[in-house]
Amino acid sequence: MNRRAFLKTGLGIAAAAMLPKTLFGAETAKASGPVVAVARGSKARLVGGALDLLGGMGRFVKPGDKVCIKPNFSFAANSECGATTSADITKQVVQLCLAAGAAHVVVFDHTIQESALCIERSGMNAAVVDKEKVSLLTLGKERQFADTPIPGGKELKSAKVAKVVLESDKFINLPTAKSHSATGVSLGMKGLMGLIWDRGALHQMNLHQAIADLASIVKPDLTVVDATRALTSGGPGGPGKTVALNMVVAGIDPVAVDAYAVGITQWYNKSFAGKSVKHIVAAAEMGLGEIDTAKMDIKQATV
Amino acid sequence: METVAEAAARKKKPGTGIRVLRWLIQLTFLLLFVVLFVRTRYGTSPALSDVFFRIDPLVFLVTSIATRAVLAAGLLSLVVVSATFLFGRFFCGFVCPLGTTIDLTGAVLKRKSPPADACRRGKFFTLIFLVVAAAVGASFIGFFDPLAILSRSLTLVFYPGASRFLGLLSALRPTVFTETLLALATLVLLLGLGLASPRFWCRNLCPLGGLLGFVSKFSLFKFSFRGKCRACGLCERSCPTGAIDSGHGKVDAAECIGCLACLNACPDRTIRFGFRSAPQPVDVGRREALIALASGLVAAPLAGSIVHRKLQGQLLRPPGSLPEPDFLNACIHCGRCMKACPTNGLQPAVLESGLDGLWTPRLVPRIGACEKNCNLCGQVCPTAAIRNLPLEEKTYARIGTAVIDRSRCLAWEQDRACLVCDEACPYNAIDSRNQTILGTTLGRPFVNEPACVGCGLCESRCPIDGPAAIQVFSMAADRRKTGWYKTPEKARLRSCGDEPQEDVPSGFIQEEQ
Repeated sequence: MNRRAFLKTGLGIAAAAMLPKTLFGAETAKASGPVVAVARGSKARLVGGALDLLGGMGRFVKPGDKVCIKPNFSFAANSECGATTSADITKQVVQLCLAAGAAHVVVFDHTIQESALCIERSGMNAAVVDKEKVSLLTLGKERQFADTPIPGGKELKSAKVAKVVLESDKFINLPTAKSHSATGVSLGMKGLMGLIWDRGALHQMNLHQAIADLASIVKPDLTVVDATRALTSGGPGGPGKTVALNMVVAGIDPVAVDAYAVGITQWYNKSFAGKSVKHIVAAAEMGLGEIDTAKMDIKQATV
Repeated sequence: METVAEAAARKKKPGTGIRVLRWLIQLTFLLLFVVLFVRTRYGTSPALSDVFFRIDPLVFLVTSIATRAVLAAGLLSLVVVSATFLFGRFFCGFVCPLGTTIDLTGAVLKRKSPPADACRRGKFFTLIFLVVAAAVGASFIGFFDPLAILSRSLTLVFYPGASRFLGLLSALRPTVFTETLLALATLVLLLGLGLASPRFWCRNLCPLGGLLGFVSKFSLFKFSFRGKCRACGLCERSCPTGAIDSGHGKVDAAECIGCLACLNACPDRTIRFGFRSAPQPVDVGRREALIALASGLVAAPLAGSIVHRKLQGQLLRPPGSLPEPDFLNACIHCGRCMKACPTNGLQPAVLESGLDGLWTPRLVPRIGACEKNCNLCGQVCPTAAIRNLPLEEKTYARIGTAVIDRSRCLAWEQDRACLVCDEACPYNAIDSRNQTILGTTLGRPFVNEPACVGCGLCESRCPIDGPAAIQVFSMAADRRKTGWYKTPEKARLRSCGDEPQEDVPSGFIQEEQ
């Protein structure tokens, strides 16, 4: 698993590095770093727009793949407030996966509040566009997780990781953009805490480093940040200040996507960069990705 | 003259078909009871899932007396009383799901009916006891009402086991109750009484049986001996409730549950069911009645004497629960709220609120919190001990206040970036404030008391082992009999325009640090 994930990620990064030149010509490539795609505009086309900038979902999902998608619907909060990923955005990701030939898509989360209420409030059933091929799953039992060592972990040495991720061909992380009282922001890498059984244990260590440790073994094939609206204070559960941004940020490099997304709005009425978020810094220091937005190849589109 | 054996062999058994029908009716009602029990859960409409309790005249009588108000939901039980006045105690023989359960276990225990029990007056004793205790201020109905007993047994005994079994096959999360063993012991005791005689509970102890039996004495249709009787005693031996005195040719209407066994047994079709309006004399027993009266008078004050109010600091009642004395008088311990609670947080109390508080619901947030978007317990409560509040109103019905134990808190004591309580709180009642302790500046949690409703989500999610570092106490609980919980002031505090009081999280690296 580790080797496969490593290879996939490596290939992905290599492909991302090569892609701009082959697809869009040298003049659009401003930097040689990882591509971060940013789509703004009409909600119904945001995911497609961002994926087009990355070369289409077909680059990530191959015919016959089992795909798992992790939106954040951990809280039984009203979907508009931004504490959970928009069901509509999730549905778009699912549809693109199916169009790319995915054999099966699992939409899942390990909810903090009661799962039935979380599903009800987030409206996540809307993502089940095809009852045969798409399933909605909430994790709640220890046997749904498998012990996984974290060889390079500085704080977290091992974790019980959701089997659905380990057993899928592709993993798409689909967080919502929101503030977080302990970690500042909760984007892609923070959302990975939803993949492990005993997330409470992370709070008993250096949380920021532990998140980076986790990110060193669970590498999404694709991260899509739902920033149609951002919960910029009161996160992660809300209620708080919700800002409409009408955008989606996507990419392969989990550090780059998070670092870029930190800058798309103010948090707690202050401006921050990826470099000022401890867990993103920790991840960059472990070599998990690019934190400097100047070195990223940022592609923007209005859809 | 032919012998009894010859007559029995010759007879086309007239009762067989109707006895099969009776079994089918019994099993249908038991199945309906179980289906309604299973359906009492989040995601299904709870409307009329409490219908058995609505038609239970004992619930209606005792709860109305105890709460000093007519239990409107229980008016339907007058139908059962009227039907009993017409046809006798058929409810026990055809409808009562506990009676059917006792019949089923009795079939395994295979006890022959002894002659009429000496303690058959016991059911009037319990009835008088319940009524008197209710009149002087304590409701013990939960210990004696057959439907409450069965419902609670299903909740506390059957459901945890079933959910654990089903949980092996599905994603269903096993339900756990803290008081399962005690409930199991009482159920085993009750069913085990069948070793003494069939339907021991129904004929000797059940106050609902006593109530319906009392009415049956005056019923218009009864079983009776008609025509020649050779006093063979087969009917008497077949009767599971000892209602027949074949020597004197009498059927005691208070004991007869209409099971029809005698029709089947009689070789001559002497026992018939028909119009017999003459009331039978009621013999409750003066001595027993006086003892029951005295017991009721003594038990009521005794019930509350074992608790001290100040020891109830963590006795959290579900949101919308009546003020404690009224709550205890209205609650029939049926366990439906505990079955319905989607987080498993509602647990049976033991003796925290007195003898009459055993098996009443209490929220144990460490097991499961009160979900903001759920008001199911109030919807399923058959006696409105938990008021059926609209969802928004429920979120204002405060059940307690969270208190932080800084000596156990990861953020306060160990400088960890832990604000899980703040994360989890759906009411913005926990503020993260940057506090510098011994040189370390870190966001640490504070409870914003006016915003807290005591839902306990913080306590349920606190990541430390053992008791949480933030716990809900019942202080400032809002317990009302009538009226609304939401006030303009509280609504303003919670309005969306208000940004939460919080400092910039320490997850950010800031220049000034």
